[in-house]
Amino acid sequence: MLTAETIIQSLASGLLMGLLYGLIAVGLALIFGLMDVVNFAHGEFLMIAMYATFFLFGFFALDPLLSAPLVAAALFVFGAVVYLLIVRFAVRAKANAGMVQIFSTFGLAIVMRGLAQFFFTPDYRSVTHSWLGGKTVSVAGIFLPQPQLMGAAVAIAAFGGLYFFINRTDFGRALEATREDAGAVALVGIDKNRVFALGWGLGAALVGLAGAIMAMFFYIYPDVGASFALISYVTVALGGFGSVFGAFAGGILVGLVEAVTALVLPPSLKSVGIYAVYLLVVFIRPRGLFGSM
Amino acid sequence: MTISRRDVLLGGAAAAALAPIASRAEASEVVIGIIYPFSGASAQQGVDARKAYETALDVINGDHDFELPLAKGEGLPGLGGAKIRLVFADHQGDPQKGRGETERLITQDKVCAVIGTYHSAVAVTVSQVCERYQVPFLSADNSSPSLHRRGLKFYFRPAAHDEMFSAAMFDFFDAMKKKGTKIETLALFHEDTIFGTDSGNAQAKLAGERGYKIAADIKYRNNSPSLSAEVQQLKAANADVLMPSSYTTDGILLVKTMAELGYKPNAIVAQDAGFSEKALYDAVGDKLEGVISRGSFSLDLAAKRPMVGKINALFKERSGKDLNDLTSREFMGLIVMADAINRAKSTDGDKIREALVLTDIPGEQTIMPWKRVKFDEMGQNNDADPVLLQYVGGKFVTIFPPQAAIADAIWPMK
Repeated sequence: MLTAETIIQSLASGLLMGLLYGLIAVGLALIFGLMDVVNFAHGEFLMIAMYATFFLFGFFALDPLLSAPLVAAALFVFGAVVYLLIVRFAVRAKANAGMVQIFSTFGLAIVMRGLAQFFFTPDYRSVTHSWLGGKTVSVAGIFLPQPQLMGAAVAIAAFGGLYFFINRTDFGRALEATREDAGAVALVGIDKNRVFALGWGLGAALVGLAGAIMAMFFYIYPDVGASFALISYVTVALGGFGSVFGAFAGGILVGLVEAVTALVLPPSLKSVGIYAVYLLVVFIRPRGLFGSM
Repeated sequence: MTISRRDVLLGGAAAAALAPIASRAEASEVVIGIIYPFSGASAQQGVDARKAYETALDVINGDHDFELPLAKGEGLPGLGGAKIRLVFADHQGDPQKGRGETERLITQDKVCAVIGTYHSAVAVTVSQVCERYQVPFLSADNSSPSLHRRGLKFYFRPAAHDEMFSAAMFDFFDAMKKKGTKIETLALFHEDTIFGTDSGNAQAKLAGERGYKIAADIKYRNNSPSLSAEVQQLKAANADVLMPSSYTTDGILLVKTMAELGYKPNAIVAQDAGFSEKALYDAVGDKLEGVISRGSFSLDLAAKRPMVGKINALFKERSGKDLNDLTSREFMGLIVMADAINRAKSTDGDKIREALVLTDIPGEQTIMPWKRVKFDEMGQNNDADPVLLQYVGGKFVTIFPPQAAIADAIWPMK
C-alpha cells in the first residue's frame, strides 16, 4: 500500500505537525537556555492557552485566529507572574536546587490540572466553528488541512521574529548576556529578575500562540497538555537544550520521523522512531543537534 | 451519642451471632450494598449510578403502576412488605479499595447482596469477596467477557458483555448482506489499552468466522497528538465498514482528521465508548450523520413500551439526564436482585442465590430491549440482546435487532 501518494501525504502531514511541535517546544527551549530551568508545567501552559481560546470563542464568538494575539499576550503575563511568584524563589534554594526547581514546576503542573478539572470540569471541549476549522486544501490528491497550514505559517513567522529579536534588539542582547553570565550583567545595570521574567513571559506567549492555533483542530480537556509536553521535551533534547533554532529543527525532525515510522511500523509504535533517533543523537552528539555547551 | 469503633465491633459481633435467627424472622428491612466510584476520575459515573439506583429503589419501595417486577404495591411482598435500604460504598476505581469496601459492606453493614461496579477490573475483586462470604454479587454494568468465566457461584450479570456486542454488529452485517448491501471488507481501528485491544480481537475473530475480509487492522496509541498517518492507512484500505473502538478524545480527533484528509467511509459501526458520548457529538456531530454505535438501551423503546418513558421521567427528575446505556443497566440491576430476594423470601445468601438461578423475567417486564432475564450456569444472561443505534438528525434511532428497531438503517451514511 506504499504508493508515492501515501508517502508524500505522510511527509506533508509530518512536516506540518512538526512545525507545530517546534512552536510548542520553543518556549521550553528559550526558558531552559536562559536560566537552566526545565518548566515541567509547559504542557499545562498549552492547556490554559487552549481553554482561553475556547472561552473567547464561547463567550465572545471570537475566531481563534483573532484571539491568538490576545491569548499570547495573556500567556505572556501568566508566564512572567509564574516566574515572579514561584520560579524566582525556587532558584534561590540553597540545597538541592535542581530538585526544588523540578518539584516547583511539577507541582504547578498538577495544581493547574486540578484547578482546570475543578473549574472547567473534565468534559471534552472544542471550538466547533472557526474560519479555517475543517477546511482543507487539496493539491494533486494530497490533503493539507488549513488550520495546520496556518499553524506552520505562524511557526515559521514566530521563529523568524524570534531570530530577529534575539540577534538584533537590545532586549535580545540582554537576554543573551544574562544567559551567558547572570552575575556579570548586574555590573552593567541589567536587572536579571526582569530579564528572566520577560524570558518566561516570552516563552509562555509562544506556547500560547501554539495553543490558540491548536484549538482550531484539537479537542480540549484538562490533561490535553501531557502528550504534547512529552514531545516538547524530546524535541528540545533532540534540537539541543537551550537552542531556539534547535527546537525549530527538532520539531520538524520529530514530525517527519513520526510520520515515516507510521508508514513502516504499526501506528501504535510510531513514537518508537522518535526515541530511536533521540538515542542515536545521544550517542553521537549528547548535547543535541544544535546544542552548544 | 458517639459511636466508638468498639461499639461498632460489638454490634457487628452481636448482629453476626443473631444473623441466622434474623434471616429466618421476617425482615422489615432488606439491605443491599451498591459499590461504585464516587470520587476520583470516574466520579461522574458513580454519581449518575446512584441516581439510577435511587430511582429503582423508589419504584420498588413505592407503589407504581408499571409492568415491572415489584413495581406494584410497596416493598417486597415475599418478605411481608419489607422495604429495601441501599448502602453506598466508594471504590474510587481501585480494585483493592473495592475489596476492602466490599468486606465492610458485608461484615459491618450486613448487606445481603452487592451490586456494582462500572469498572470491570474492580468487579473482579468485589465478586471474589462476595464469593468468599457467599453473598450474591450482581454485575450491573461491567462488560468484560471474562468476568462470568471464573467459576464463581455467586456471580450474576443480566446485561450483555463485549463479545455479545461485537456479535450483534456482525449479525447486523449478515442481515444487511441478505438485503443486498455490499459488505465484504472491514477496517478495524482500535486503541491500545485493554478496551480497544479486547474489542479489536473479538472483531477480528468474528470477521474470520463469518467470512469478512479485514482490509486494515490498525491499533493506535491512545491520546495521540495526531492521527493523520493512521487515517491515511484507513483511507488507502477504503473498507466497506469502518469499525472504531475509541474513547472520546481519539474519537473526536479521528473524525476531524478523516474530514481533513478527505476520507468518507460508506459506514461507521462503532463500539460504544467515545461514540456514545455527548461531547463527541457536540464537537463533530455534523460529520457523523448516519454513524452507527452499539448500546444496551434505547429511549426509542418508549414508543413500544410506555413504561420506559415514565421511568426515564422519574430518573430525569433526580438527575437532569435521560437514561443511557449505563444508568438503564444499573436500574435493572436492582430490579433483578430485588425480584430474586422477594422470591427467596429470605435474606440468606444461599437462598437468594437459588432464587437468582431460577430468575426468568420476560423482556416486556424490563426497560431493556432484552428477550428475557435468565442466567446460564455461569451467571450470564445470554438473552440480553444489545441494540445498534444510528445517529440521525441529532439523535439516536434503534435500527437493530428487528424486534427493537423503529427504523431501517440508512446505508451508506448520508
